[in-house]
This record gives sequence, C-alpha cells and structure tokens, in this order.
Amino acid sequence: MASILFLVIAAIGLATALGTVLSRNLVRAGLYLVAFFFAIACLFVLLEAEFLAAIQVLVYIGAVAILLMFGIMLTRDTLGDDTTAIPVGWMIPGLFGGLCVFTVLAVGINNSIAPSGWTPWSGTTSRPSIIKQESDPEPAWVAERREAVNDMGRVIGVELMTRYVVAFELAGLLLTAALVGAIALAHRADSAPKPPRSVEQAAGSGPGADPPSEAGEPVASSLSP
Amino acid sequence: MQLVELNFQTWLRWALWLVVGFAVVFPGIVAYMVWLERKVAARFQDRIGPNRVGPLGLLQPIADAIKLITKENIVPRSADRVVHLLAPILVLTSAFLVMAVVPFGVGLVPVDLPSGLVYLIAVSSMSPLGIFLAGWSSRNKYSLLGAMRAVAQLVSYEVPQILATIPVVLWAGSLSLVTIFDRQLEFGWYVFSPPGLLAFATFLIAGVAEVNRTPFDLPEAESEIIAGYHTEYTGMRFGLFFLAEYLSVFGISCVTTVLFLGGGTPIPFLEFPVDLLGGSTASLALVNLILLAVFLLKVLFFIFVMFWIRATLPRMRVDRLMNFAWKYLVPLSILNVFFAGIWYEMVIRPGGLTFANWLRGTLVTGVLVVAAVYLTFLLNRKLVESKPIDADWPSVAPATESAR
Repeated sequence: MASILFLVIAAIGLATALGTVLSRNLVRAGLYLVAFFFAIACLFVLLEAEFLAAIQVLVYIGAVAILLMFGIMLTRDTLGDDTTAIPVGWMIPGLFGGLCVFTVLAVGINNSIAPSGWTPWSGTTSRPSIIKQESDPEPAWVAERREAVNDMGRVIGVELMTRYVVAFELAGLLLTAALVGAIALAHRADSAPKPPRSVEQAAGSGPGADPPSEAGEPVASSLSP
Repeated sequence: MQLVELNFQTWLRWALWLVVGFAVVFPGIVAYMVWLERKVAARFQDRIGPNRVGPLGLLQPIADAIKLITKENIVPRSADRVVHLLAPILVLTSAFLVMAVVPFGVGLVPVDLPSGLVYLIAVSSMSPLGIFLAGWSSRNKYSLLGAMRAVAQLVSYEVPQILATIPVVLWAGSLSLVTIFDRQLEFGWYVFSPPGLLAFATFLIAGVAEVNRTPFDLPEAESEIIAGYHTEYTGMRFGLFFLAEYLSVFGISCVTTVLFLGGGTPIPFLEFPVDLLGGSTASLALVNLILLAVFLLKVLFFIFVMFWIRATLPRMRVDRLMNFAWKYLVPLSILNVFFAGIWYEMVIRPGGLTFANWLRGTLVTGVLVVAAVYLTFLLNRKLVESKPIDADWPSVAPATESAR
C-alpha cells in the first residue's frame, strides 16, 4: 500500500517537475512548481513527518511560491504572456551542468559520513509501528523514534539549536544578507527621479517596502486616460 | 497527543467527519451565517433585512444557493481556463482544511495532529495562492489589482497572526490544538493574562485581515476595483469564493476560541469536570454537548463581532493597512513573545494557577504590555510627525494620522 502510494506521489512529483521546466508560461510553470512542492509534502507525510510536511507547505507554497508569482508580476509583463525560451546554444551546457549537480548530490548523499558520535543522517532503517506494543520489549531506538515522530516540533527545535546550530545561523545570515541586498536594490530604484504622481497612485509607496502599489502602477497608469 | 491506528473504525470516523461535517454541516453554517449577517447589517442600517422567503427570511440562503447553482458559468474567452477553474477550489480547500484540527469538544476532533497549529497555519497560507491565481487567470485589470492587494495584505498580516500564537504555544508547551485545549481546561483561558490579551487582540485583528473582511476588504473593494479577484466569476464558482470567505470567518472564530478562550469551557479559571458522571458514555456525551454549545456560542460571538465591525467601520487605505501591520502589530507581537516568557516564568512554571501568582504576573506583565502598546503608538506618531517618509508621500496632515 505504502509503496504504491509512494510510486504515485513520486510520479506526480516527477511529472510536475518536468512541467515546471518545460512550461512556456511563467505563471503556469510556477503553478507546476507548487504542485511539485505539494508532492514533496506528501512524501514527508509518507515518512511520518507531518510537521515537516506542514512546514514545507507553509514555507514553499505559502511563502516562496507566492513571492515567486509576485516577482513574475513585478518584473515581467503583468499577465505572464511573456513566454520563456531557452537559447539553443545554452541547452547542452545547461543539461551538462544539471547532470553534474545531480551526480554530486547523488554521490554525496549516498556516501555521507557522520561526525563521530552521531548516526549518519542518510541511513536507512526499518520502520516499526509507532504504536507502542505493550507485550514485547523494544530496543531504545524505537522509543526514541516514536518520541521523534510524536513530538517532531520539539525534536527539530532541539536539533537546530545544538547539532545544526552553525548551519542554522549561517542560513539566517544568508537570508539577512539577501534581505539587505533586496532593500538596497529597491531603494536605489526608488530614489531615481520620478514624474509627479497623483495622490491615489502615490499612496503607500514607502521606500520599497510596499509591493502592492508598485505592482499596481503599470496597470493603474494604463487605465487612467 | 493521540496516535491512531489505521483500522476500519478510524476510516469510518474520518469518512463521517468528511461527509457529515464538510459536506453538510459547514455549508449549512455558512448559509445561515450569510442570513445572520444580512439580518445584523440590516439592523445596523435600520432596515429589516431578508423577510420574503420563509418565516423571517429563513429560507433565503437556500434560495440564494439554488440561484447560484443554476446560474450560467462563464469563463472569459481570454482567461486561462484551467487555472480559472482551479483557483476557487484551491481557496475553498484551504478554508475547509482549517477545520480539520479544531477540537470542538473532548475527543470531538477530526484529526489530532501533534503539530496541529503548524498544519493550520500552513493550510491557511494556501489561500493567498488561490486568490492570486483567480486574479491572474481572469485577464482583468481589476482582478489583477485585487489579487495583488490580496497577496500583499495576506502575506503581511500572516506575520503578526503567527507571532500572536507563540505565547499560546509557549504556555501549552505543544503545537497540538487538543493539548492547548486541555491545558486551558486546567489553567483557565489564556486571554486572562496581559500578554494573552495582547496576543488575542493581535490575532483577532490579523484574523479579520486574513479573511478579507471590512475594514480590511481592499482585495474586493467593490467601490474601487469592482469585486477584486472574483470580478470575472459567475454562478457557483463565485459561490465557492463566497463559501470560502464565510467558512474562513467561521474557522478563524473557532481557532481564536480554542487558542485564547479555552474552547468550550463555560467558566474561566475553573477546572471543568470532564468526567461528570464517572466516565460513562452518557457523561461524555453530556459533557461534549455542553462544551459544543458553549463553543458555538463563543464562535457566534466572534462572528457577530466581525459583522459588527463590518457594519461600523469604513475601509482602510492601502498605506495605512501596511503601516498598521508592519509598524504596529509586528513590533507589538514580537515584544509580546518576551512578555509571554515573563508570564511563563512567573505563573506557569511554578506549577498550578494560584491567585497570588496570577496577581503578581498580571501586575508585572500588565505594566509592560501597556507600556509597549503606548510606546509603539507614541513612536509611530512621532515618526509620522517628524518628516514625510517619501517626497511624494500624499500630504496628510499629521493631526489626522495621529487620530487613529
């Protein structure tokens, strides 16, 4: 049952991933990407990690996909008519680069070595039932695993604050840098001299902090006579 | 936390919830919420409201539903057909799925997830996507404007809304809504503490914004952009948006009740006798009946408050909307996390809710909360008065800005 489910979800995931790459319309590609993220969330559920699935949906569908759509709207033609075409000359190098990344990931994950004292994170183990059996005694790691499944939020929080704290802080630093960079970019674009605008259009145009009026501008200006 | 075994009984329970709850009860609730809203709004405007179809107009929602279903479905010729049809379903699914983790009573919860709150936030964060796709696929400038407004607003107000749930998670020590509910059976409602009150107010305001209701209904401002993202929708597809909106009003009221008002417990600070008649099935049913009735009363109160706000307040301006989220609610709710920590150390960690503890905690955090609110408002006023933020900022007199 579980393996059939996995096959179905994996097939959907692959199909939507292909759709993302091959779709000519950017918004449609984004929509395929959302479906792909959802398939990943389904895989997390299959792995009994519904906390991760929820986080996946929250972060990738609720935030990343929305921002992606917003970005498309802000930078391209607002209705997304602008089709994307890959220059033919870039196809072979692109394919080669993608294959290289895939090889590095596959080999790296398969041969990951754990730091001393830790279990490697890519190991495969059998999955006993998470329902506690009263009759037969169970090894310690089964209890540990049940704990992790039942209280995943706490376990992940503890892991992020101890084992992965450096990676966590680095990711935070990276995001902060990206934020600062985005503000700097938006600010420079904003400080350019602009023609005077009416009050309605100018409403809410803070220093790059307010997307809706920025987004609405081209449409609004094309509407006004 | 409750682990379920995937046996026939579980499947049966889920099927029952799905069929009875999601196909009959919740649409029915929505239909009569619409009726209630029309009646309430009519009272506020000195009218009678629907009174033609059935006694007191009680059959009006049914007539409306039949009208919506029999209307022609029009997809604009230049619209993106698939996405246009998919968008309302996405919004409705997101609104429906929120109800899946709400504990209506003891053991009366569709699914008890260990991380129910994260699930809830994740599911409700899918509705901006549906709204955006609806606006984009309609090929209508007003729709697109509405969609952009909707996404900006929903993403902004999600931040204070999530931050406002952190005190509750901290105090309950769990993300499961059932555990949060159980803890409030023991310790009284979370709203009766200064940080809890602040979090409650933030959550409610952000919640009203999340469901696009007045004064935050800019995405569908009918006097500015016709109907925003659902301008091009007709018939039952429009009805789906309508259903989703009212269902999320119901959902946000349920979630607020569970998080801050102790679910269905009738009296704050009092341990509710869960096994009234000695743990028999009859006693459980009785307790659940009481809990469900009180729960629905509280939910009805919140729904009424939302209708009341809608009948009273005008729509916000876009810049004020963003200012309110980012300059008032977000700093306040971040500060509130610290206050909640103080409350945890003073009241909850000593174990057991005693009056002395409660009083001491209320005094200390109360002063802090009032000071934080006052400072936030003061700083924002000073900021507005000091200088215009942008050269082409609309020249609003400082007096009106500080009159908020």
